[in-house]
Order: sequence, then structure tokens, then C-alpha cells
Amino acid sequence: MTTLIINKKEYEVNLLGHETLLEVLRDKLSLTGTKTSCQESECGACTVNIDKKAILSCITLAVDVVGKEITTIEGLADGENLHPVQQAFLDHGSAQCGFCIPGMIMSCKALLDNNQKPNQEEMEYALDGNICRCTGYLKIFNAIRAAGTQMKAHV
Amino acid sequence: MLLNPLTYHSPKTALEAAQLYSNLPEARILAGGTFLLNNLKQLKKKGLKTPRNIISLKHIEELKGIVANKEKLIIKSMTVINDVFNSPHLTDNFSVLRTVCRNISTNPIRNMATVGGNLTSRYTWTELGAVLIALEADMHFTGPDGKEEIISVEDFLKNNARSSTIFTHVSIKKNKEHSFAYQRIRKLSYIDVPMLAVCVRTTFKGDRFTDTHAVMNNCVNFAQRDLVLEEFLNKSSRRNGVAEEALNHLDTKIYDIRGDDYKKAVFRVSIKNAIKDLINQKEKNDHPDH
Amino acid sequence: MKTIFDKKYINPVGKSVPKIDGKGIVTGQQKYVFDVSFPNMLVAKMIRSPHPHARIISIDTSKAEKLPGVKAIVTAIDTHNIKFGSNEYFFPHTVDQQALEADKVRYIGDEIGAVAAVDEETVDEALKLIDVQYEILPAVFDMEEAIKPGAPQIHEAMNNIAVILPVNFGNPERIMKEADYVREDVFYTQAAAHCSMEPHVCVGQFETFSNKVTLWSSSQAPFKCREALAKCLKMDLNDVRVIKLAVGGGFGSKLEMHPMDFAAVVLSKKCGGLPVKICYTREEEFAFSRRKHAMKYKVKTGIKKDGTILAMTGEVLADGGAYCSYGPTVIAAAIMRIFMVYKLQHFRISGYRIYTNTPISGAIRGFGGVQSGFAIESHIDLLARGIGMDPVEFRLKNITRPNMVTVNKMLLTSNGLRDCIEKAAAAADWKNKYNKQKHLCRGMGIGIAADVMGSKMYKSHESAGSIVKVEEDGSVYLFTGAADTGQGSNTALSQIAAQELGVSYSRIRCKSGDTEITPFDTGSFASRVTFISGNATKRAANDAKKQILTIVAQELKFNIDDLDIAAEEVINTKDKSVLMNFDKALELCYSFNYGRQIIGRGSYNPKTTPVDFRTGEGNISGSYGFEAQIAEVEVNKETGEVKILKVWDAHDIGKAINPQQVEGQIEGSIAMGIGYSLYEDLKFKNGRVANANFANYRLPKSLGTPAIETILIETDEKEGPFGAKGMGEASLLPTSAAIANAIEDAVGVRIKELPITPDKILKALKEKEQAKTN
Repeated sequence: MTTLIINKKEYEVNLLGHETLLEVLRDKLSLTGTKTSCQESECGACTVNIDKKAILSCITLAVDVVGKEITTIEGLADGENLHPVQQAFLDHGSAQCGFCIPGMIMSCKALLDNNQKPNQEEMEYALDGNICRCTGYLKIFNAIRAAGTQMKAHV
Repeated sequence: MLLNPLTYHSPKTALEAAQLYSNLPEARILAGGTFLLNNLKQLKKKGLKTPRNIISLKHIEELKGIVANKEKLIIKSMTVINDVFNSPHLTDNFSVLRTVCRNISTNPIRNMATVGGNLTSRYTWTELGAVLIALEADMHFTGPDGKEEIISVEDFLKNNARSSTIFTHVSIKKNKEHSFAYQRIRKLSYIDVPMLAVCVRTTFKGDRFTDTHAVMNNCVNFAQRDLVLEEFLNKSSRRNGVAEEALNHLDTKIYDIRGDDYKKAVFRVSIKNAIKDLINQKEKNDHPDH
Repeated sequence: MKTIFDKKYINPVGKSVPKIDGKGIVTGQQKYVFDVSFPNMLVAKMIRSPHPHARIISIDTSKAEKLPGVKAIVTAIDTHNIKFGSNEYFFPHTVDQQALEADKVRYIGDEIGAVAAVDEETVDEALKLIDVQYEILPAVFDMEEAIKPGAPQIHEAMNNIAVILPVNFGNPERIMKEADYVREDVFYTQAAAHCSMEPHVCVGQFETFSNKVTLWSSSQAPFKCREALAKCLKMDLNDVRVIKLAVGGGFGSKLEMHPMDFAAVVLSKKCGGLPVKICYTREEEFAFSRRKHAMKYKVKTGIKKDGTILAMTGEVLADGGAYCSYGPTVIAAAIMRIFMVYKLQHFRISGYRIYTNTPISGAIRGFGGVQSGFAIESHIDLLARGIGMDPVEFRLKNITRPNMVTVNKMLLTSNGLRDCIEKAAAAADWKNKYNKQKHLCRGMGIGIAADVMGSKMYKSHESAGSIVKVEEDGSVYLFTGAADTGQGSNTALSQIAAQELGVSYSRIRCKSGDTEITPFDTGSFASRVTFISGNATKRAANDAKKQILTIVAQELKFNIDDLDIAAEEVINTKDKSVLMNFDKALELCYSFNYGRQIIGRGSYNPKTTPVDFRTGEGNISGSYGFEAQIAEVEVNKETGEVKILKVWDAHDIGKAINPQQVEGQIEGSIAMGIGYSLYEDLKFKNGRVANANFANYRLPKSLGTPAIETILIETDEKEGPFGAKGMGEASLLPTSAAIANAIEDAVGVRIKELPITPDKILKALKEKEQAKTN
């Protein structure tokens, strides 16, 4: 049995060695918040944070990230209290069908953890691996700006 | 499951990795995983044989990081693209690396893909090759016997990949004289895979181009130098029209191979703009107030 | 009794309240069928034809059936061989598809069976063991080849023409002779993909002891799916239940029953009732689900020198792929939309939907309007240029007006088109920028469009139903058959319910898209939900309100006509005094003396007339939406790359129930429109999709997102709930033309083929240079 540290909790998993992190999250641990739309690193729906960086779980071997700090969408809210990024997405109408959103939010969080005042170019480059078919991205940029302000105020 | 069963190895030193690589049957190196994992999925989908042993370099600390001293920049092979992009050591001639790293693939991939993977993958459209040839970088390898081998990036890309040695780092000599220009065209608007890339480096001695490296990535062959263009530029000065005239002095087989009319046209546009960029940089350096 | 309302969400119509299901989305807890897993659930895949055109000689599944872990295999012999077609009501002869084909396969990927097993590895093994003998037939991939005599016949249709729509009015040939300027143009639009982020996925379960079917499906139209499923299973509607959960995008690809839905259920039946899940890979999404009709759009128009359009003729050829799906209505829409925007009396355009041995072309956002938008709006611009008239002025001269009946009998009631054009032009500073930025290689282009609210392609009626149930504790349940696929219909309908009932939006819970529980609704298409389902919801909320007020009236001995509920209070409408709050009124209803369940019902059928799709005549929609879009572009003359600087979109939506959601739909549509205009292109090689992945079929991403300014114009449509019309598609329709028109303004070349890729622009610039020197 191996221990994976996910959302600050320890999960005991029987890893065979060839599972991707995506499969472990969704199929073994029922953490179905992380999605996939292509399974070949193009869509970004499987984005999680590992050691505070945006990482694609569909091309990560689970066994390779033992001991790392893994954060998924399920780890952002604190009970009823949403993370500023989540709240900003709600306030700004940044989600429509929602399928890309967990991955999108994880990319936004990784950006904002590093830089609470990203400019337009920095935002565009940070999200260039997350495909959204519904929103056209503008309201997502609005949410990032708002969440950044909020996060800066509470530092 | 997306992948076939495999045996995972996690060495802690480059030497251990090199020894495993030379001893284990059907072994592949896992660096960032951005090429290998998708490759393994494709092989399984097609019902083809997949490697039994995967050697992960992820936990080898000595292979991570960027070190700069007075003479050289050393980028270790497991450094990810975004860490190169964000490095404060990219000064002088190294600053062109920032330009190149900016547009490689997408953000999460830039967090995972390594310099080592980019250079040693057998894909012709990877981008670090051209710029590192222009920087005259050397690649350092460790074999299972602990011996170090050094080969220039240019020679490495000309020959086949090494076996049973582990690529540990690139070293690049600092040079304040060199100017760099980099142009790239995306395969289709908004596609991260380049259709072509042009990296031109020169040292201006007065008005003349000297010691020019013109490295082309036509994404069909590995990055290579256009010696015809270099010869022309090294005989030229930065006068009006030299960029346009340079287009008559090209090793055309680099540009015309498997290229449609559009690619050939924008390749020439990119070369012209790269030369003009170098000239503009020289202008700026000579007259910083303008 | 809990008071659970949030004061800021009172009178929610017109406010950008947060999505009702938003919290589930941002926490990753919202469940899609993609996430569903049941105990003992099996995994299944379709058995597909590797040939574009072949006769099925035999299917031998015996080896596969012996493989351990395989639980059921079905082919046509396990079915009733019933054909279905999505446009069957209006075009009965287009019922051309069997869920599992028995005799012939007509495109690479055509489904002939399905295999269910304990895991994906076993299914893949089993598929390899299935032996199908085919007699390969000659195939045809090009639509203009397919209609030639001697081409391989794909169905019984003559010359592979599934449907001809000859739309004729007046005497265009005669009137054309009176024109001062005539021109003809031909436009080509490409096949494209929907690319919903959630692929097609379903779980089917057959309840063996009761002979009932449940299908969980990522669907935009659960009732349509149920109808086709019941037909093919030879079951009663009431024994077939289709449930949609959250849907990760549809855009028209999930509007009908797919063979996978049918197969999941039949597999479940065959293995004794175990749930069976089928989920498409991204490759299957691209190659085997649905695609956009590629079209060749020829149009010829004669105008007077003052810009008045006299007559228009033309021909539309549409590549329909192997089966009909929604093709006929796509062609109809591709032609009929023109009447919504331009005043025309003399008109003849014939539409042909052609079979080819390629993947099925079906409904996709815009329904033919994207193709016709590109063709017509480019053509209009060329007409204006032909007589030296400003494109904005030319359009203003010819557009439709409010409260007019078109030549094909569409009743345009509220019509903000003039306002849209003028406001968009003002916001974009058209006068100072059009034809004035060539030195910067920048240009402006305009395109206009209209939208229907519903399209009667399902049945002759388009009615929707809603139920509003007010619980004892003050929470309110809205049951609607409408299918929220992300556009926010649950939210908008909940706002309408809350507004009409007179309570806070935070009281509403919405249950949608379950054919056993929610009333009938045709689904999410043709921008119909806000208007049609919205009206049904408003009526249901009104009904519930009346039930409450009846009891209050009785208790307080008031005349019910003097009572209303607003802002959570029961008020005397005569003097506006507050009589009691909402919770007190409810307490009364549920008290011993009255004990009355408050269940409001509403049904709405839009006021339309019967539509003859063949001739294009009839008032297809209860109201129409309009918009004008201006794009500003910058062209790199060296590389041919086009940068979209900004897009202005002025949209007549009647009333914005939720302005933020309306903007979101406009921004998303424009992004999709830019994709279709500049780089999305589904390529085929011998009938097979050659770029069936995101690496080679590129979607609009965050890089280079242009600024978008939306101008919402509220014309207050009387027939709509609180004045609202629908929307969701219109902003996609004129984008390609606006961009093409802007490119001509910027660098003087006209591209008549989508997508407008850099190589096409470079080629056109080169030809222009050569023409100059000659």
C-alpha cells in the first residue's frame, strides 16, 4: 500500500505502478471533480496542483508523485467557505456547462498563488492549456482579477 | 487503464539511473512524461508492445536546477521549461532562452516538460534544439561507468540518440557580444506546435555581421544551420536591403522539403524579420536614447 | 418555519444572480453522466464498420462471447430493426437510420452492434474477436460527385439527394432584369465539430422484473431521446425513462437518440438488467458522432442603384453524410433565416441535402445559419461595395421592421434590428474607422442575423410544461423538462418562477430533464428555452400564486383580484399595504383549516402557424431575436495571420432575464464563431476523419482572446416572459462574415471559403499583386 497526500489528507492506495494520477483520483478514490475530455494532455480538464504548480494528471504516473503535495478541486473549499477563486467564478458568471471548470480553477489558483496581480498576457499564458468551449474566457479573466484582489487583501 | 503494466524504478542519482538504463531490458526513461505517457497510451491503443521498465528521473535532485557562474550557464536536464523561463540567470546571450520557452506548448506542459526531454526526444519540432545550437551549447552525459561524455547540441542532433547514458545538463558559455533573434510560426493560428522556427545569432563588429549562426527548424529534420546564409551574412554589413537580399542566399533544400507554398513563404518572411530584428537591436544599442 | 431567503435575490428578473447550480460546479461536486458509476456496472463499446460503404454479409460473435468477462453482445438481430430519424415528423422519408444497422453500412464508424464486459480491456479484446464479413461497395465522399448519375447509391433516395427544399416567392427572374447591379457569388463552408467538453456518454438499465428502461444520458433533449428509444424498443413512453444530469455542453450534438443510447439499453436487457455504460473517446467524438454540414452556397442578387434589394436567387448544396439526422431542418434554416433580416418579395433558393459516405452531419449551434450567415452577409457586403455604398447604410435600407409579416408569412413582432445596427456602429465608431485604417492593415466588417425561438422540428406543437411546487417549509420546487446544458436555463427559469411567484430566487430548487418527473419539453435547441419554457414556468408560478392567494382571500375575506405577492409579501394591490409575509401565507395554506397542497401547473405553446418546410412558408416561431455584430481585425500581410482586435455585438433579446448569462452566451458564441471562421476544419481522407484530436483540430483558447463589447437591447417582447426572448445562437451567425468583411476592408482581399486561414490570405494577396502588375 502506498500513501498519497491529496488535499492535505493521506490516502492509502494499492498502486500497481501503471496508473495515471487521473485514474487513481477518479476511479480508485472517487474524487470525480477532476475531469478529462481527451486523455492526451490537450484539453486541460485533468489539471491538478502538485507542489503549487498546474500539472496534467492524465500524463502523470501516480507512483511518481508519492510524497508530493497534491491538490484537487475538492481541496479548495473549507467546508461551506469557498476559496476566493471559486467565489469569483460564481460572482462573475465564469462557468457555463462547468466541465472544464475544475481544471480551469486549478490553473487559476496556481497562477494566483504565485502572482496576485497578473496582467492580461500572464493570464492568457497561464490558461493556454485549458480549453473552454462555452465561455470565450473573458469572464474567467474577470474572475481571476477579482480573486487576485481578494487574495492580496488577505495576505 | 490507460497504460499497460510496467515496473517503475526511481533512482536517486544520475549514476544509478545510467546503470539501471544499461542493465534493464526494454527500459525507457521517464523525465517530465509529456511525451512518454501519451506515447505509451498510443502503443497500448494500437495493441503494440510497450516497455517493461520505466526509469523515472523525477527524484534525482542533482539533475534539477540552473547554475550560473562568471563564464557559463548550466541548465540541468530535469529542469522544467517554466523554471527556465522564470530563471533570473537568463542575462546577456542567455535571454533568448526566455523568448523560446515562452511559447513552448501550454502552461501545464511547461510545468512538466524538461529540457532533457525536449532535446532527447526524437521529435523534430521541439524547440530547444535550434536556440541551443545558436548558443553553441554542449550536452553532458553520464554513463553507467560514471564517465562523463560531452557533445555539442549541434552534433547530437546530427547523430542518433545515445543509449545507456543519462543526459545530465547543458552548458553554455556566457558571451556579451552575441545578439539573438528568434522567429517562430505556429502550425495553425493558436496551435502550440511550431511549423517552423528561425534562430539567428551574430556578433556585430562595427557594421558587419560576424560569427553568424543561422539555425533553422523546419520541423521535418532536426534543427540545423544554414551555412549558405551564414556565409552571406558574414560577408555583409547591416545596410538597407540586406535582409531582403539574404533571401537569395539560402540553402533552399532546408526550406523546400515537404513544405507547401505557404510554409516556404513564411519561412523567408521569418528569416528576413530575424535579420531585421538583429539590425534593430544594434541600432538600439548604438543609440539608446532614440 | 424556516425563513431561508436572501434579501438581495428578491425581484431577480433582470439581475445577474449566481447560477443556481454554480456551487456544485466550482467545487467539482456537480455530477455528469460522465461521473456516474453503479455497482456491477458494465462497460461497453460500439462495433463499428471500418468501411465507408458495404453490405453486411455476416456477423460472427461466437469467439467474443466465450471471452471471460464478456457479458453481452448485441447486433441487429437483437432488435426490432426499426428505423428512426430525427426529422421524421416533417420529412417522413428521412427516417433512414437503424440504431444497429442490419443490411448496410454507410460510413466509417457506422454502428452494427455493441459489446458489454466487466472492464474496458476485455471489451477491446472482444472487439478484436468479432468477425464481420462485408461486401465492400464503391463509396462516394464528395457531395458534387454524389449527385451525378452513376454515383454509388447510399440510400433509396434518387441521386443521393435526401431532401430538396425549393423556396420560391414572387418572380425573381423577371424582377432581376430591372436591377441596376447584379452579382453572383459562391461561398464554401467547412465541416466542423461541436467539441463539447463532456463527450457523449450514457448508462442504460433494463429493469427485468417490470420491463422498464432507464437511460442516463448526457442529452439536450431527453424527451426526444425517449420517443426514439420507445419507438425502437417497441415500448410505451411511460416505460422508458430518460434522465439527464449536468451536461458538459451539447451545441446540437446531443439533440437526438444515438445508437449508443439504444445499445446500452439493449445490452442491459440481454445480460439480465446490469447497468451498462458507454462513453465516447475524444476520437469517437470527432469521427463518429455528429458534424457540421459543409455547404456550397451560391447566391445571386439584383439591386437598384439606391441599394434596394430587388430579387435574390441561388442554390445551396449541403453535405449531409451518411444519414439524415436533423439535416432537413438545417437546410431549411439556412435559407429561411434570410427573410428574418431582409425585406424580400422575389426569391428563389433551392436547398439540397446530399448523402455521402462520411460521418453524419446534424444539428450544430446556428442550424445552417452559420453557413448562410457567412454567405449572405459576405454577399451583401459585396453588393454594397459594388455600388459604392457603405455596408451599414446598405443594410439599414433593406432590413425588416417591427410588426411586419415577411413574404413567407413569418410574423416579426418585436424587432430591434435597426437599433442593433445603429448602436453597434456607434459603439465601434464605424464612421471614423471603416475604410480609414488600410494604412495600418486594419479593417471593420459588419454582419447581422436573426434568431428563432423554437423551430417545430420535433412535432407540430412546440409546447412545454412546468410545475411549481411550494413546500410547507417555504422552499419552492420548479420542475421543467428543459435541458440545461450549461447555458443557464435552470437559472433563468428559476428567476422567472421566483419573480412571478413574488419570492426570493434563493427559495427555488430546480429539477430538470427527467422524463418521468418533469413535464414535457422538446429540449435545448433553436434558442427556445427562455421564451417557450420560460412562459410555461411563468404560468406555473402564476398558478401556484393564485392557489395561495385563493386561500388568503378566503381567510381575510378579500377579493382575490385585489391581492398579489411581491417581494416576499402578500399585498393589497389597491393601497399597496402588506397583509402578511409569504411564509405566513404558506402556513395558512398548510394549516388544519385548509390543508392545501400548492402545486402550480403551466403549459405554453408558442403562437405559430403550420410550417411547410418544403416551401419555407409559415410562422415558425413565436418571436424572433436580432443582432448586429462588428469585428475589427488586423491582418499581417507577410504571414496572412489575422488578429481579431475587438468585436461589438448588439443584441435584441427582448429582456435580459440574467444579463451576465446573456453576455456569457454572446461571448462564448463569438469565440466559437471565430474558431469556425479562422481555423476549425474537420478534414477527411477517403471518408475518414483525418484530424480526430485536439492537437490537430484546434479550438479557440485563452491566447489572443479579443475584447468583446456586448450591447443588450431590450425591445420588451410582449409575448415573452417579462418581455424576454430567447438567445444562444444568434451571436455565432454573422461572425464569419463580419471577419471576412473586415479583412476586405483591411487589405482588400475577399475570401469566400471557410476557414479563412493565413495561407488563403497570402495567396489572395499575391493574386491581387499579380493582377495589378498585369
